[in-house]
Amino acid sequence: MTTTKPGLSDYLELNKYRAINLMNISRMAAKHGPLNMHRDLKRYPWIWDLLQVNSLLKRLVEGRSGNYRTSVAMVLGGVVEGVIELLEGIFYRSDRLILHEDLLPPEIFRAMGLQPWVPELLGILLPMLVPDTMQKYLDAAESEGVPPDICSLPRATIGMALKNAFPEALAIVSSNMPCDGGMSSYTIIARQMKKPAYWVDIPFDFKNERALDYFAGELKDMIAWLEKHTPGKMDWQRLKDICEKRNAMAELELDIWDMIRHRPAPMAAEAIWMSHLWFFNINPGYDTSIKLFTDLKALTQKNLEANVSAVPHEKYRALLWNPPTLHYIDLMNWAERTYGVSVILDSMSFNRQPFIDTSTPDSMLKSLGNIIMQGPMSRHTRGPAEANYFPDIFHMVKHFDLDMVWVAGHIGCKNTQAMSGVLREKCRDSGVPLLVIDYDLMDSRITPKEGIQEQVGNFMENIMKAKRLD
Amino acid sequence: MDTDKWFSKLLDEPVNELVQKSMDEGQIPIGYSCSYVPDVMLSVDRLFPVRMRATGIAGTEIADNYLSSVICSYTRSLLEFALDGRYDLLRGWVFAASCDHLRRLYDNLEYLKRPGFSRILDVPHKTGNAAISWYTDELKLFAKALTDNFGVDLSAEALAKAIREHNAFNAILRKIGEYRCGDKPVMTGTQYHRIVVAASASPKKALLPILKKIRDDLPKRDPLPAYRARLLLVGGHLDDPGYIGIIESQGGLVVGDRLCTGSYPGLQPIPETGDPIEALAKHYLTKTSCPRMMEAFRERAEDIVTLARDCRADGVVIQLLKFCDTWGVEAAAFVSFIREAGIPVLRLERDYRLGSEGQLRTRIQAFIESMGK
Repeated sequence: MTTTKPGLSDYLELNKYRAINLMNISRMAAKHGPLNMHRDLKRYPWIWDLLQVNSLLKRLVEGRSGNYRTSVAMVLGGVVEGVIELLEGIFYRSDRLILHEDLLPPEIFRAMGLQPWVPELLGILLPMLVPDTMQKYLDAAESEGVPPDICSLPRATIGMALKNAFPEALAIVSSNMPCDGGMSSYTIIARQMKKPAYWVDIPFDFKNERALDYFAGELKDMIAWLEKHTPGKMDWQRLKDICEKRNAMAELELDIWDMIRHRPAPMAAEAIWMSHLWFFNINPGYDTSIKLFTDLKALTQKNLEANVSAVPHEKYRALLWNPPTLHYIDLMNWAERTYGVSVILDSMSFNRQPFIDTSTPDSMLKSLGNIIMQGPMSRHTRGPAEANYFPDIFHMVKHFDLDMVWVAGHIGCKNTQAMSGVLREKCRDSGVPLLVIDYDLMDSRITPKEGIQEQVGNFMENIMKAKRLD
Repeated sequence: MDTDKWFSKLLDEPVNELVQKSMDEGQIPIGYSCSYVPDVMLSVDRLFPVRMRATGIAGTEIADNYLSSVICSYTRSLLEFALDGRYDLLRGWVFAASCDHLRRLYDNLEYLKRPGFSRILDVPHKTGNAAISWYTDELKLFAKALTDNFGVDLSAEALAKAIREHNAFNAILRKIGEYRCGDKPVMTGTQYHRIVVAASASPKKALLPILKKIRDDLPKRDPLPAYRARLLLVGGHLDDPGYIGIIESQGGLVVGDRLCTGSYPGLQPIPETGDPIEALAKHYLTKTSCPRMMEAFRERAEDIVTLARDCRADGVVIQLLKFCDTWGVEAAAFVSFIREAGIPVLRLERDYRLGSEGQLRTRIQAFIESMGK
């Protein structure tokens, strides 16, 4: 296994970020006070899982060094700060708290002065930290009659609602994204939480002005509904500020994407996908997010100029299609060290609609609508697949000079499962090696990490004719 | 004529002899697969709608390769039959983007087997004015596509006439249905479902005389023998009357249904005034009542409770296709809602192809016994 032996500076860097994370957590606890903290740890037991962040940090940086290691640690540190801000929202701003489905634009809620909480967020974060922690929530949902074949993310989210794991909110906002399971889950969540709920509708065929007008209208209606059911009021100037800052983030991200086209890639894996997943979906338009992308760009630039490969001995470049393997999040790290695979980009990050036209309220809503409709998962689960699913895959393979496609074949993602047959044929015709990993997003009982490793190993050795580096 | 046998025979094939006969007379059959597709628009001029079924499917080995085995077995069965050429007589098909499964079936069919005419309708997930307006526009585009492709007349007059005929036809079906839910039913749920499914899979003109005769003869029939319980059957797509037959073989008479392929809500009349396309958009969007529509859980749940009370059902059986996300999640909420209303409820998952009959019998027996019947 090629473990680039981290030098002293790498150890120091790891410990620096460990200390920063601990310091931030301690500061939050101290500010909240021991009694309140004790009460909230009982009320929200999942906070204990969040405290495992430094264990995740250690797993993610293992074998990595230099600017790549620093970038991964920095991104995770930023996530910790973001989580703390969300927790403080629960602690101190519950009078403005709303729950919203994960693909709806937080920019709007922030501009309205509301404190957003994404119910799916814990289902995404917690399995990365403690791989089997969602099982109790999955089981709770199944006990209530939710079928086990529903995607485990909405199923776990339902389970969390049933176990009263979410903060009390004023209202709930959801949509028909990204899939039927996700959409339907809010029927149970709203019923369980006994809160007023509003649903936003996204058309199936969205690449036209008619769809854009319809969806912008939906967002307008959502704002009016929120103004009626919460103390939130839309502040268009504030929305403009947030959107302009988001545009700045998008510019920086595009610069990074340009650089990772280079072979070997100067940056990869969590530095790319986790930064997008968190900062564009949870903290868009934050000054801290701009700073993070500025720093990421600088570190990527340094590697590029010095011709330093993020992944030591990069031999293969992969596209990851679908959300990353949450309960075995160090898969990419393992694949780097075992086969020299660099996961360059993923379907959850890649998009073609990065900017918001901030000239008028309508233009902002339309741009935000466009970003959502044409964003990851929304785009891939609607519209004809010939227009929205396959072109992205083959464009990314070509544009980023990739050697293979890995589909994280989450068994609950029926939209992806149902396209795998055609994708297999198209990849075969195009000469693009394809790996479909059979597993469940957050339930390691379906396929444990060893099972995932075995599938990747078989593919790498039999199809790619790769030799293990260990 | 033994009408039961005659209707059974119509259901033996996905494209039956009446369809073939109508084609010989110059009519054009168009397949459709979901209740959000306004079949009235396919009942205009020389067109006639055929609801797509995969009756008698033995396995879905090829379809599983494409759609995988975690997709609803109705859509897998349709793909299997399509690849097997069983719908080759159809001149086209129309799908609705109603659920992930049907959307992906359409995607696969577009790649694997595209007929002369194929279309997927963009159905909103809400029923407000904006959604109705959207669907009206969608249906206008659909009408244009049909006209351009088949040269048929979908003018307002032609559509208004089709709506009137559709309402008249459905009024007969509704009237027949009343004879299964009275105090002394003269018709079983199986017999009724056979007629309703056959009506959706055959040219209506060919069925009309026999349906009128059945309607007129039913008052003269003797009441059915004693049964143990009256049941309301709830769920999405169910086109196999044999499933109801098994329920009724255990003494549970199906006196009412809320099925996509059944009498409610599908047979309700469409308004005959105003712009026909707008009326169709509003009707199909607001009356189809599928869990894929957001914001309307309570209305759907109350609808079931009201139906159960109207037909004096002792209990409700919810059946759903395994892997159906919308029904799968919502059924969990329906169960508690219906129980809270004081009505016993049984939830069953099934495959599209009738199987596990013994298990189904046992579940129904236990359910009926649990109601003290």
